[in-house]
Amino acid sequence: MDKFRMIFQFLQSNQESFMNGICGIMALASAQMYSAFDFNCPCLPGYNAAYSAGILLAPPLVLFLLGLVMNNNVSMLAEEWKRPPGRRAKDPAVLRYMFCSMAQRALIAPVVWVAVTLLDGKCFLCAFCTAVPVAALGNGSLAPGLTPQELARLLARVPCPEIYDGDWLLAREVAVRYLRCISQALGWSFVLLTTLLAFVVRSVRPCFTQVAFLKSKYWSHYIDIERKLFDETCTEHAKAFAKVCIQQFFEAMNQDLELGHAHGVLVTATAAPAATDNAGEEREKLHGIMDQGSVNRLLTSWHECKPPLRLGQEEPLVGNGWAGGGPRPPRKEVATYFSKV
Amino acid sequence: MDKFRLLFQHFQSSSESVMNGICLLLAAVTVKLYSSFDFNCPCLERYNALYGLGLLLTPPLALFLCGLLANRQSVVMVEEWRRPVGHRRKDPGIIRYICSSVLQRALAAPLVWILLALLDGKCFVCAFSSSVDPEKFLDFANMTPSQVQLFLAKVPCKEDELVRDNPARKAVSRYLRCLSQAIGWSITLLLIMAAFLARCLRPCFDQTVLLQRRYWSNYVDLEQKLFDETCCEHARDFAHRCVLHFFASMQREMRARELRQDTAGRDPEPPEGPEASDGPDGGSGKAHLQAISSREQVDRLLNTWYSSKPPLNVASSPGLWGGGLSHRAATVAPGTRLSQHTDV
Repeated sequence: MDKFRMIFQFLQSNQESFMNGICGIMALASAQMYSAFDFNCPCLPGYNAAYSAGILLAPPLVLFLLGLVMNNNVSMLAEEWKRPPGRRAKDPAVLRYMFCSMAQRALIAPVVWVAVTLLDGKCFLCAFCTAVPVAALGNGSLAPGLTPQELARLLARVPCPEIYDGDWLLAREVAVRYLRCISQALGWSFVLLTTLLAFVVRSVRPCFTQVAFLKSKYWSHYIDIERKLFDETCTEHAKAFAKVCIQQFFEAMNQDLELGHAHGVLVTATAAPAATDNAGEEREKLHGIMDQGSVNRLLTSWHECKPPLRLGQEEPLVGNGWAGGGPRPPRKEVATYFSKV
Repeated sequence: MDKFRLLFQHFQSSSESVMNGICLLLAAVTVKLYSSFDFNCPCLERYNALYGLGLLLTPPLALFLCGLLANRQSVVMVEEWRRPVGHRRKDPGIIRYICSSVLQRALAAPLVWILLALLDGKCFVCAFSSSVDPEKFLDFANMTPSQVQLFLAKVPCKEDELVRDNPARKAVSRYLRCLSQAIGWSITLLLIMAAFLARCLRPCFDQTVLLQRRYWSNYVDLEQKLFDETCCEHARDFAHRCVLHFFASMQREMRARELRQDTAGRDPEPPEGPEASDGPDGGSGKAHLQAISSREQVDRLLNTWYSSKPPLNVASSPGLWGGGLSHRAATVAPGTRLSQHTDV
């Protein structure tokens, strides 16, 4: 267990190595899943191709979706995409960056599955055993004596050694070797192409749009952190709210009970300062939001109208502003809030 | 466990050690990959050579690209190569140094694969069994040429009924394996000698230039990492203040709403400034981060970092290199250029 904890700590030491670690783990999991899977070719003419295509394509799709689902940032992307603009304009470049980085990570496990499937060869063998060139590999002179359906039925049994009975036409090992060789060649070509593509994308990016990349990286990280900090602040607020609520309840109960008892006044007098000290501290944490309606309004406002990315100035009040009272100082910054952010 | 911890700490101590660690990991993965790969020679005339040579060369190419991908410094190198000059001159020597170190590390895993394949012999036997000269072996004297070709093509497949338990097959196979292992060991010896000579003789040439380039390439990498970390810290600080600011503004808004509902005669309370709710923040030592507090400023910061990296001189105060501020900039600038290159 210590070993795992240390590996975990090492991987978490910075964000990039953590994500690389996750990718490595998913790749290993994908390879392990394949080796644990019991491939079972039906050895029937029509069904072979369907089964193999299913094995080659369905698990990668599932793994891709699983990779997206397990990524916490998917909900962040969805939130950022669907939120109303409010006072903070949406930046499509940031959304694209977030989607691309998530998709890249989620593609690793499917690619590993497809590569391992092709390099192993069983799937390809099952799919294309009926397309083997009998004339070139076996006794081609005997082939015309069979109808196409009989030939197909015979060749479809190549992946199943215990029921194959066509050795007089084509040696089973020859066909298996031939198809596995092609499958492995395809597998390695696929691996080479994928790594080439990844390399080109990674190396060519700094030649173009480096500034846009830096900005998107910063703001996507910012959105993530802001969401987490908002949740933390809300949790603290909820805790403080609950504490104050409970304290008030106890005080109210206390007062109710003491209305019936005369000597209780002295008790409250001595207990009050301590209680108000604690209550004061907790009230500070509430930032003035002290009832259900305000909390609901705060949460609605956070979603519908995120604050602009501009600090150090006072916010203009929504609605009519001051409806009375003294003269307000003229606000010069109002115009800039509604300019393009 | 202490051993592992020390190992991890050692590998994380500098970017070079991290790269070395990744290189070793990739080499280990290559060995595992080779041993778990199920070699399957087709034993057909034209396909043998393609399969054998393909297996000898394609995985190394893919591993080479993986080595380049896994190495952070390849991206650092391309960034340093393509950045605008700005206030900091570019030194092609540094870029060449990083390039050569990246290439050396990326070549380790492919070489491991090639050497394993040659020392094992299966690839070589599969690729070249059809090109063996039959006259070297007496067993082929009474076979027609086409029979000989068919036989030779099936030599890599031990279990094939044509060549099973045939002494001729064993002879050809042994011959090719011996050749393959000889080539493999020769290449190993050559590589090790070349590495040894390069290591020993390097101090005889350009040692100071090498030291400078190693220093500055390490610096460039570390600077980029630190910039990313500082951006993360800044984003965290920014987000924290933004959230608190939001809570404070909600409070003000609700207070204003209450006041509007109250009688007009009462004096309005002065709204709390953001400084009050940001009290705990203001006390923290992050004054330099608080100056940057809007989207446009952050974008401008990132743009400037890319298009105009600061000069390598921290003796002067910042602000002198913000585009053409004063006459002092002109006198300081040549000094900053010289400090980057110590003349030998």
